[in-house]
Amino acid sequence: MKISKKAALAAITAATFITQFALAPPVLAGADQPPVARWTVQVAQVGAANDVNVEPAFRIAIYENLLQELVKRKQFSAVLRSGDRDADGVPSLLMLKTVVEAYTPGSETKRAITTVAGATKLRVRSQLCTRDGQVVLERFVEGNVRLFGGNLRATHILARNVANAIEQSPLPDPAPSVRKP
Amino acid sequence: MPVACLSVSLMAQDRDQTKTAASNSALQATAVLGFEGISNNATGDLSIQGDALVFQPKEGKAARIPVGSIQNAFLSQTDKQTGGTPMAVTRAAIPFGGGRVIGAFAHKKYDFLTFEYLDSNGGFHGAICQLNQGQGQVFGKELEAKGVHFSVAREATPTKSGPEAKNEDK
Repeated sequence: MKISKKAALAAITAATFITQFALAPPVLAGADQPPVARWTVQVAQVGAANDVNVEPAFRIAIYENLLQELVKRKQFSAVLRSGDRDADGVPSLLMLKTVVEAYTPGSETKRAITTVAGATKLRVRSQLCTRDGQVVLERFVEGNVRLFGGNLRATHILARNVANAIEQSPLPDPAPSVRKP
Repeated sequence: MPVACLSVSLMAQDRDQTKTAASNSALQATAVLGFEGISNNATGDLSIQGDALVFQPKEGKAARIPVGSIQNAFLSQTDKQTGGTPMAVTRAAIPFGGGRVIGAFAHKKYDFLTFEYLDSNGGFHGAICQLNQGQGQVFGKELEAKGVHFSVAREATPTKSGPEAKNEDK
């Protein structure tokens, strides 16, 4: 019994030492590096391609859901609304432009009755642009509701997909002048 | 005695009129999204109080939007299935297509009011609320009387897909 207790104590001590020595160097290395500056994003109002007639409720729902999703991800230092005057003083600002390229209005009742018909489909072109208009990222993203949920759920799915696409894409570093010391 | 009766009846009439005015302006609504501090799909009362559009949820603080800051209000109509998730699960569980038969009858048309407004910092906001059929038009007209640009949204039409390029980097 005494031996097993000693063995357990030795194992715990060894594990503690190993953990400390294994983890300490990267943590210390991270502490030496200056914190990386992050972009601030401003979400522009959602537009529509010339031949696309999107209901205002859908445009607004895409815009608001995009804001919610981007805030949730914490990828950007701040998420600003279109027209927000705080954006004027931000040097590392990206503008998220969204244009609806295709829209198929669906029907919740048709979906409930037929299962295969009545899907709501949205397809947008999302662009992240710098202040000088340079496009740093462009994605074509879809958001569809095929079975359960209301038609506006398509906008939530779409916003999630846009936020995913941005999160998974490498963004250029903000200008060196905006890096924190 | 007749004077007292008359004054009592007049007071009662006044109270009735006040009650009617209050019930006319406050409509049962669902805040679909966009109301500051209100969770999505919260139910409550939508009303115009003085110079503000107010959504008072059943529990918690009300959301107020100054009428002067509302740029546009749009009305659209959508057919929705009633009963929410429990009903959807029940429909799915019924064998031999019984759920589809229920789906054919368990739907209702709703009005959707969409507001576009600016906050004090110039930031653009949007809010959507769901009302019973017919109430959206009435509420929109009330807003229009207060100087808000109100319009009925055109029925959307399907469009062809855009360019096929997907997930292309620049």
